[in-house]
This record gives sequence, C-alpha cells and structure tokens, in this order.
Amino acid sequence: TRPTVHPLPPGTHLLFSQNGKIDHIPLEGYDMKKDDAKTVLHLPEKVVIGVAYDCVEKMVYWTEITSPSISKASIQGGDPIHVIRSDLESPEGIAIDHLGRTMFWTDSVEDHIEVASLDGSQRRVIIDSDLVNPRAIITDPPNGNLYWADWNREAPKIETAHMDGSNRRVLVKDDLSLPNGLTYDFQSSLLCWVDAGTHKMECMHPGRGDRRQIVAGILYPFGVTSFGKNLYYTDWRRDAVVAVDRHSGKETEEFQPQKRTKLYGIATAYAHCPSGQNYCAVN
Amino acid sequence: NALIGTPADCQPCPCPDRSSCAQIVETGQVVCTNCPTGQTGMRCQMCEDGYYGDPLGQSGAVQPCERCDCNGNVDFNALGICDHITGRCLKCLGYTEGDHCQYCQQGFYGNALNQTAGQKCKPCSCNPAGTSGHVNDCHPQTGNCQCLRHVTGRDCSHCEAGFFNLQPGVGCERCKCNPIGSAS
Repeated sequence: TRPTVHPLPPGTHLLFSQNGKIDHIPLEGYDMKKDDAKTVLHLPEKVVIGVAYDCVEKMVYWTEITSPSISKASIQGGDPIHVIRSDLESPEGIAIDHLGRTMFWTDSVEDHIEVASLDGSQRRVIIDSDLVNPRAIITDPPNGNLYWADWNREAPKIETAHMDGSNRRVLVKDDLSLPNGLTYDFQSSLLCWVDAGTHKMECMHPGRGDRRQIVAGILYPFGVTSFGKNLYYTDWRRDAVVAVDRHSGKETEEFQPQKRTKLYGIATAYAHCPSGQNYCAVN
Repeated sequence: NALIGTPADCQPCPCPDRSSCAQIVETGQVVCTNCPTGQTGMRCQMCEDGYYGDPLGQSGAVQPCERCDCNGNVDFNALGICDHITGRCLKCLGYTEGDHCQYCQQGFYGNALNQTAGQKCKPCSCNPAGTSGHVNDCHPQTGNCQCLRHVTGRDCSHCEAGFFNLQPGVGCERCKCNPIGSAS
C-alpha cells in the first residue's frame, strides 16, 4: 500500500509539512478556512522539510531527510513520485521556477545549491562555496532571480544570484541571526524573511534595499510564504501557522493542527499561476 | 468505515494511548494521527526528528523516544541532528566527533564535554620547528605535542632551561656559558 493524495478543491491553499505529512489550509480571501484544513498526503515514515508548489502542473514538491529524497505529487490526487533519490545528504529548502520548469534546492550537509528539471534530469550544482547552513530558497521566475538564506551563526546572510548561479551577491548580512524562512511576492516584488534569532519578520525590495520590519517578537519561525497582503509562517514554539498582515504588521490569525509537533516548510498553492514571462523565453 | 453497516465497521485505532487515527480512503491504510510526544509513523513506531529510540521495540527492547544526546555540541536550529533509532549524532559542531559528539576531532585537543564556548576543542597547532611529529598531532586531552630534543612547551615552541637556538628538525642546543662568568 502506498500513500495517496487527497485531491484539493479549486482555489488558493497553504501547504505545509509536519512530521510524516503534508497538510493544507484553504484560503478564503486572505483568511484561513481552518475548519477545512486537512492532510493532503500522509508520509508516516518520513520527515518532510521543504515544500514547494508548481502552479502549472498543480504538483506539490517536497524534500525529506529520513532517506534523503525529493518527491512530488499532484494535488488533484495521485501517488507520490520520487524525483531525486541519490547524492542527497540533508535536502532542506526547495523552490520551483514554474516558467523555466526547473527546481532548486539547498543541502545543509553538502553545503551547496542544486538545480534540476522537474523530472530530476539535467541535475547540476550551481552554488558550492561560502555556504555553511543553507536552508530557505525561493525563486523570482519572471526576473530569473534566485534568493536563499544561510543561517550560519557566525555570519548569517541572505543572497541572490541569477538562476544559473551567476551574478551572486549578498543582499542582507547585518542584524540577522537565524533566517530560517524566505518568501518572494510576485505582485509587490517584496522579498520577506523570518528570523528565529532576532525574532523578526522583515521585508525589502531586492533592487532598492529598503529593508523594513513587519513584526518583532515572533517566537521561533521556520518557514514563510506570502499571498497578497498576508504572510504566513510556521512556528516551532507555537506548533502553528500564523498569518500576519504585511501592511499593519499585525498578527491576524493562527492555525494549530491537532497534533502538537514541529511544523516545517510552507508554500502557497495558487489557484492560477502569477502572470509573467521568463527572461529566457524572451531572449 | 462506518458506512458499511456491520457491527465491525468501527474498530479501535491501533495506536498507543488510544490516540486517534485516520483511514486513507484509496488504500484502506490506517495511520495514527496523534502519536504521543516525540513519536511519529504509521503506528507511532518511530521517533520524530530531534528524538531517538524504538518506542514499540520493533528492533529489540522498547526504548522510549528521547531527545538526541549530543553533549550540547549540535545546533538546535539544525535538522536531522541524530539517527532516529540509534541516537548517533550526525551533525557535531565545535570540532567534536563521536556518537554523542563526545570527543575532539583529530588535530584538536581539550574536553568536548566542557560547556563553556572556546574551552572545548582547540587546534593542536604544534610549532612546526619544535615538533618531531605532525603539527596536527597532539595528546587528545592535554594537547601536548611531540617535541624534539630539549624542546618544551605544550606546542613545542621553546627550549628547555639551559638550552637555546631552536632549529627545525634538530631541537635546541645546550647553553655554552662559561661557568666562571655566569650568574647561574
């Protein structure tokens, strides 16, 4: 017997991982429909960490550290498919370029960033230096940019590069501690992160460097995702998904699954892909 | 499945402490959904990340899930810090190693169990001129390097009393003081 996906109804959802499963919460506007939250996929023998969503094929992708692997499954129902099973040590963050049809992931033991096609082929290391504890990774497909965070306690940083690893630059290095989660909002072009050491959620426009604090005093954030005016983060102390309004900086909602245990990655499963063109498609 | 209509439709969850379970519709598989703290898996038979043990005794004696014991030499923000069955530490820090990060790595000395930062494992850093061994080869606890003749100091960096002129690969020479004109 194998685990199977419980198909999701249409609309936008949050997908997040907890020990041995991936859950979803439907969104109604920006509100979490908590009563309709359900497990999408039981993976009882696995420790699922990173979660990403491909809006084109409506597939959820995840990283798993028990028998290190990357897998995917359709959220419209079906069985999980292994994508990568070899040469992984501790895959953590995962991100999808839905335009270029590629995926990117961090490995905190190999200390590198890799890219591969969504079927696992054409696999290649694109960043393999100056990484200590790489975790969160996120794409900006319309602009061909990649962002990632390294929570190295000696020198935490948030970096960017083109999707081929070129033009690598440090975006943020001051006043960071444990930047566990990153998200990029296509509409506002805002890069936001959560930090379990400074206990803050902050945002900036990568091109402008106009960094600003959204919330302070959050407990132990791990993953974060954005949708419209809201940011949603998972928290290890609260064992919950917490919604924050980016404009007011106020916490608006909390969802705590019945099972009290750590929540890891979180991703937004859009009803439709955000519109945009890939620079590769233009050139 | 309560929809079949026989007395055996509802069966107790095969989970510890009468905790809840769910049946996967497509496969009929039953999964425990509310395992005791630290436990996970189809029947709560595994330990969660950050814990180790064998709570149902599947590969030997029952061993409740306990937090990974790595002597404070792992980072609590890291994932997969120990093997979820044996508890072997997988991500030792501070130049420590061993199943519980209890030793200093080769080339380092000190006490891996010392909880004061900076006091744990320090590099051997033997003086290349004064050592007869390798610069990374020292006593794991004391840090004493293997010194050349008449060379002393933990890292073999100076001459014994009465000796001078530390020469690489040779050691120190005896002082040639005239007994009549010397104060000592």
